Amino acid sequence: MTIFLQSLISGILIGGVYALIGIGLTIIFGVMRVINFAHGDLLMVGMYGTFYLFTLFNIDPFISIVITMPFMFLYGGFLQKVFINRILGSLPQNQILLTIGMGLIMSNGIMLAFTSDYKILSTDYSSSSFDILGISISTPLLISFAITAGITVVLYWFLLKTDTGQAIRATAQDREAAQLMGINVKRMSIIAFGLGASLAGTAGALISPTYYIFPQVGSTFTLKAFVITVLGGMGSIVGATLGGILIGVAESIGGVYFGSGWKEVVVFVLFLLVLLFKPSGLMGKSNT
Amino acid sequence: MKPLFGTTRGIGALSVMAGLAVVVLLFLFPRFVENTYALHIMILIFISIIMGSSWNLLGGYTGQYSVGHAAYFGMGAYTTMMLMQFRQVPPWLGIWCGMAAALVVALIIGSICFRLRGPYFVLASIAVAEIFRVSALNLKNVTNGAEGILTTEIPPLKIGGTLITDFSSKVPFYYAGLAFVLLVIMITWLLQNSKLGYYFQAIREDQDAAHSLGISLTFYKNAALSLSAVLTSLAGSLYAVYVGFIDPSTVLALDLSVQIVLICIIGGIGTIFGPVIGALVLVPLSEALRSNMIGESLINSGIVKADSAFGSFLTENLSHAHVLIYGVLVVVVILFMPDGVLGFAKALAARKRKEVV
Repeated sequence: MTIFLQSLISGILIGGVYALIGIGLTIIFGVMRVINFAHGDLLMVGMYGTFYLFTLFNIDPFISIVITMPFMFLYGGFLQKVFINRILGSLPQNQILLTIGMGLIMSNGIMLAFTSDYKILSTDYSSSSFDILGISISTPLLISFAITAGITVVLYWFLLKTDTGQAIRATAQDREAAQLMGINVKRMSIIAFGLGASLAGTAGALISPTYYIFPQVGSTFTLKAFVITVLGGMGSIVGATLGGILIGVAESIGGVYFGSGWKEVVVFVLFLLVLLFKPSGLMGKSNT
Repeated sequence: MKPLFGTTRGIGALSVMAGLAVVVLLFLFPRFVENTYALHIMILIFISIIMGSSWNLLGGYTGQYSVGHAAYFGMGAYTTMMLMQFRQVPPWLGIWCGMAAALVVALIIGSICFRLRGPYFVLASIAVAEIFRVSALNLKNVTNGAEGILTTEIPPLKIGGTLITDFSSKVPFYYAGLAFVLLVIMITWLLQNSKLGYYFQAIREDQDAAHSLGISLTFYKNAALSLSAVLTSLAGSLYAVYVGFIDPSTVLALDLSVQIVLICIIGGIGTIFGPVIGALVLVPLSEALRSNMIGESLINSGIVKADSAFGSFLTENLSHAHVLIYGVLVVVVILFMPDGVLGFAKALAARKRKEVV
């Protein structure tokens, strides 16, 4: 029972970060109907940024998100304006391939610049943990969960209450109608991609104290991001939050009961089952 | 039936002749060229053409973008290799087992994934291939896990005591590759002009319309996938026996799936010779980068000094750059010539013709 609770709790904690990755992907999909196959690579860029901010300038990874977030926002906006914008109307296959290509450029560019060696960002609290009722909780995971929760709350407030947030949601609901209402759809797309990239990069910063950092780490997270968003229903932010936590828990519990090598299989099987029996996802509308 | 190479009869006859000449030259190639490196490149090109053309049957003609074709490639590679290394089955027999295994896998995957459309199908195909990769990594007692399988000796095929093939040189691989290439090109050509092929293309253009005309979507999509998977496994088997080493991160990787699609994208999707052109562009390019020919020639020609920082960067890192170049190529092709090199050439030709008129 303790083992179960233990894995449940660490699953929820890591699930919070997964949710952040999923929300980023789902915002991009919602606004542009583009599936961003470079999402994990944006996360990887965030990881590298955090690593070098830490080793060169000694900035703590949890504090460095203040730099990572706006930087990744600008980077994402740039990618949207220069690349994605040109193919918004074309075949979905072409959009997938373009983002796959962008991901390859990022991961292999990083590999050329920083070699393919595994890097470890070790802070003095990297492996520290504390006990509550016999269950040990990792400190960096708990901190990153708290930060994730904070970011998610701010994001909800931004999307629900601010003018820009409402314009983004309107664009996601109906691009043409939004344009007719005088919303600058192109600008909303740039903001949406920027937000998505920024959330992915932040997630990368938050997990960098607990994960190996290497150029190809992105592809795992790209797939995970998809599983999360499809699980929650493409385009649904609440769904992505739920999906993220669900995947975190499934991975963690699957890892305990099937061995850590099989935890990814647990996730993919879960993903296929959801696709087959409820393709619109847990929170999605039935017609998607 | 449409002519193979063109629309007008004169040009058609000419291009058939030219095609035959190319085939004859390719058959004679190993007799005149003793250079093993040239043979090596040719074999790699053949394997890429087989992969690309097989994917093209499903992606190009039926419009179902699988980004999980590494699953079938790996199925062929692993079946042939495991039979050969652990049971001493000659590869010529193992290849058939690999194709059978790929067929079974394709039927299972197809019946699950073809209920999904568009991006959802793409995602499902990736997920299935990843399940295979992680399984091959974890089933250590079956597949050797991450260590992979290394060829120690290829059992020769003997019928009644007479040696049919031995694999002591690259030449048998060359002819096997060439034969398979001709086979997939032939199949693509036959398909393009057959009823089955028309059904495939109808599904690609508008699957709802095709369905309303009475074309069974599940049946024909599964037919396309099966054919495509079996031929992809052929490429996998050939690769495994030729290279002599396989592991999950090379023959079952997502990168490989992307590379298979890329061959078609670059050449031109849904055309007979698109994958051929794609392979002719990609393989020499990635080999040149992998063997660091470009870096060395820059240094040898004196443009870059070997002991300079840039020179040592080139010699140390440029060999890793081939995947980066793939990425750049995809982005450039999708943005500037979405119909591939063939489509781009056709559009250029059409524009020229207009100018003349």
